[in-house]
Amino acid sequence: MTHHQKRVIGQRLARIDGLGKVTGRAGYAADIVLPGMLFGRIFRSTVPHALIRRLDVSRALSLPGVRAVVTAADLPNARYGQAVKDTPVLATDRVQFVGHPVAAIAATSLEIAEAALSAIEVEYEPLPAVFDPEQALAPDSVLIHPQWQSYDALPVLARERNVSSRASMRLGDVERAFAEAYRVYEHHFTTQIVHAGYTEPRVAVARWDGASLTVWCNTQLPFDIQQTLAGVLEMPAANIRVQVPGIGGGFGGKLRVGVEHFAAVLARKAGRPVKVMSSSEEELIAANPRQPAKVSVKSGVTRDGIILAKQGRVLVDTGAFAGSGPGTAAIALQILAGPYRTPNLLLESIAVYTNKVPTGSFRAPSGPIGNFALEQHMDRIAEDLGIDPLELRLRNVISEGDLGPAGEPLTSVSIRECLQRAADAIGWSDRRPARGRGKGLACGWWMTTGGSSGVFVKLTPEGRVVLTSGAVELGTAALTGAAQILAEELTLDLDDVTISGVDTQTSPFDYGAQGSRTMFSVGNACRKAAEDLRAQIFALAAKHFGVAPETLSLADKHVVSGNHRLSLAEVGQIAQASGGGLIARGVTNSPPAPHDPARVKNHPLPVWNTPTFHAHAVDLSVDEGTGEITINRYVVAQDVGFAVNPTYIEGQIEGGVAQGLGQAMSEEIVYRDGHVLNANLTDYKMPTAVDVPRIESILVECPSRDGPYGAKGVGEPPCIEPPAAIANAVAAATGIWIDSLPITAEKIALGQRKRAS
Amino acid sequence: MSKATVELLINGERHSVDVEHHWTLLYVLRNVLGLTGTKENCLEAECGVCTVLLDGAAVASCILLALQCVGRSITTIEGLAHGDQLHPLQQAFIEHGSVQCGYCIPGMILTAKSYLDENPGPHTDSEIREGLAGTLCRCTGYQKIVDAVAQVARERQP
Repeated sequence: MTHHQKRVIGQRLARIDGLGKVTGRAGYAADIVLPGMLFGRIFRSTVPHALIRRLDVSRALSLPGVRAVVTAADLPNARYGQAVKDTPVLATDRVQFVGHPVAAIAATSLEIAEAALSAIEVEYEPLPAVFDPEQALAPDSVLIHPQWQSYDALPVLARERNVSSRASMRLGDVERAFAEAYRVYEHHFTTQIVHAGYTEPRVAVARWDGASLTVWCNTQLPFDIQQTLAGVLEMPAANIRVQVPGIGGGFGGKLRVGVEHFAAVLARKAGRPVKVMSSSEEELIAANPRQPAKVSVKSGVTRDGIILAKQGRVLVDTGAFAGSGPGTAAIALQILAGPYRTPNLLLESIAVYTNKVPTGSFRAPSGPIGNFALEQHMDRIAEDLGIDPLELRLRNVISEGDLGPAGEPLTSVSIRECLQRAADAIGWSDRRPARGRGKGLACGWWMTTGGSSGVFVKLTPEGRVVLTSGAVELGTAALTGAAQILAEELTLDLDDVTISGVDTQTSPFDYGAQGSRTMFSVGNACRKAAEDLRAQIFALAAKHFGVAPETLSLADKHVVSGNHRLSLAEVGQIAQASGGGLIARGVTNSPPAPHDPARVKNHPLPVWNTPTFHAHAVDLSVDEGTGEITINRYVVAQDVGFAVNPTYIEGQIEGGVAQGLGQAMSEEIVYRDGHVLNANLTDYKMPTAVDVPRIESILVECPSRDGPYGAKGVGEPPCIEPPAAIANAVAAATGIWIDSLPITAEKIALGQRKRAS
Repeated sequence: MSKATVELLINGERHSVDVEHHWTLLYVLRNVLGLTGTKENCLEAECGVCTVLLDGAAVASCILLALQCVGRSITTIEGLAHGDQLHPLQQAFIEHGSVQCGYCIPGMILTAKSYLDENPGPHTDSEIREGLAGTLCRCTGYQKIVDAVAQVARERQP
């Protein structure tokens, strides 16, 4: 149905849920209050690695107002985990990081629950701890999970001792290519732990009604929470209802179970509803931040800078549990390959346990990790060869029809256009306009995560529609975009679409608000549902007009039959009076593209669905005395396929770059001897309004084959390139290469001093 | 724990409330009065999502005791619009696409109102950014928020 003029899609319409959000009426999980509700707090380990010798909660339980205390002894012996089921709800015989949950308390007030925490008695027998991922790899390293072999895990993973996965990609013969290369370059990089930084902490309210459990929470993946709870509670998922009233940011940090399981087990034991909300300190010591990593990359090139071979290794430190680490580490291989033709490849990733915070999927999980390494590596090669960094990239980037690293054919390839437009916009020809001022660029590629989505669309007697999706509106306006598509397909206005809330009991399944997929997948499902609804509408109208359904069309909220018109409101009324109204269903899925299995080993995600391409360019100045960076301009050229709503795509770019700049320059969860030193929002430095420059967005539209109207995923990519772009611009301004994140003023100043001396 | 019955003036309405002495204004707004438009996060005045206006000035309600607010005028996000008539900042936030997840937005709008009321302007973008720096937003990168505030600031100029 693309023959009519686009009225709703492509327009800068205001988001559907804006009014509620500016008036304070929008609901969030944190706002849920139930009659008789108790408040839960978590008792956490204060040591990084130890056996629990004694745990006595009796004194806490006897305090007035305390209604329940739960320890591992109260729970089934079940573990959960995305790739490896290695995580108990509460510590069993051992603690594996500072912050490890040991017991949970529910009381009539938060103050009482807090006070009761200090009445819990625990004795630990310390074990040697390991904090460095390289040390954790050593054959004589202490084992963080002595029972690792007993865990259920994805069959594709190669696990051993502290390694939760090892993946590789291989093509050609790198050794021979290195031997034949004009030059071979090798660089090493480290990246830090960063937190997603959502402003609404993870929160859940749980209530039991007999054997049924209802949880209100701010998860990105209600169906995943439902399954995880079913696993750890050993009960049918059908008896677990997860509702998401609203969510104050996620960015991947709220994909997996956070506090829902604590609320559930406390509520069951107390026989009353329980609310558990993380504190800022708990967020920073025990949530799911982005993994820190060590990356090595080695390239052999010709005299002209053509890449002949690349070898790389990514060591991802997942902390105490594997979390998203196996997938994150594996995906880093595609990032390291980059949007470059590389005839010989040998890439390996390792995810390893340490006694630190368990990690998860923060926006474009290994994107910034691998891209910081690869794109700085490219600039350093360019510098040494005396080739302009843009030119070096343009000589190597992939083109339409090239094969990706797993041998998959690539289509809708726009990396060249992204690079050129970003470079043109920043004024690339004048790369060092003044002393202490320089320009840098970085480019990359990412996926539009596939997975299935279903929607229901109900026609009302006013001729409006209600869209029911199992996808959470994270804040991206993805569902406004999907609603624009639905409105377009049904000749409605956006105002005619109402979006109902997410409830695992009534919403169709959705793979979830993650991976830059929500608008893409829900939008596709909406197109299918519109097709179904049109067929139902035409069948009904055909009877009304006494004509064949094929003769009918839809225009301006009416069914048209020759000179006769029937409004959708009338159709809705007839449908309700005659047969229970009209409900349409639309489903979509993105099957993985074919690839060459010989190229990949133990990789859970060898091929990317609908890849996207992007380039960032920055113009910055560095203070010669302090090393402080001032960003003069920041440009993003991102291929979005088709801009369903340019305003909110810009919003994704602006917000993603801000997060990327946080990782590039200021954010880090700092550890010393297994303890976090900066577990508060003053010392964990997220960018404020004065720290973020104006972002100039260029929306490149190279339509995809599979997205609605050609759209591609948008949300994650903007945070991928900022660290590399900043590093490259700092080098252009100062000549100093910073190979570890964050790129602080201190590191630059030290580099300047070292060079001066 | 000792309790007191106090009168709080919130959004122009008088509320008689039993409060424990240590209760913060944020706690009373959200858990006693059901005014959940004021948001809760760090509880240490670091993030700004709990910002309300106290006699017109932006304050962090998470570190302010309810007892300290007796005899003063409190404005929360629920009190900003007049019926269906949105405050110009609310309208501008919608029009500029300044809202994403929305969790910081009540605090951000009240921070902006306090800033504009205290600083007649004209304003540069960097002055507006300074004015908003106490409230964290993790979604937007601030740009469309700054644009919305700048537009309202311009409209206020004679």
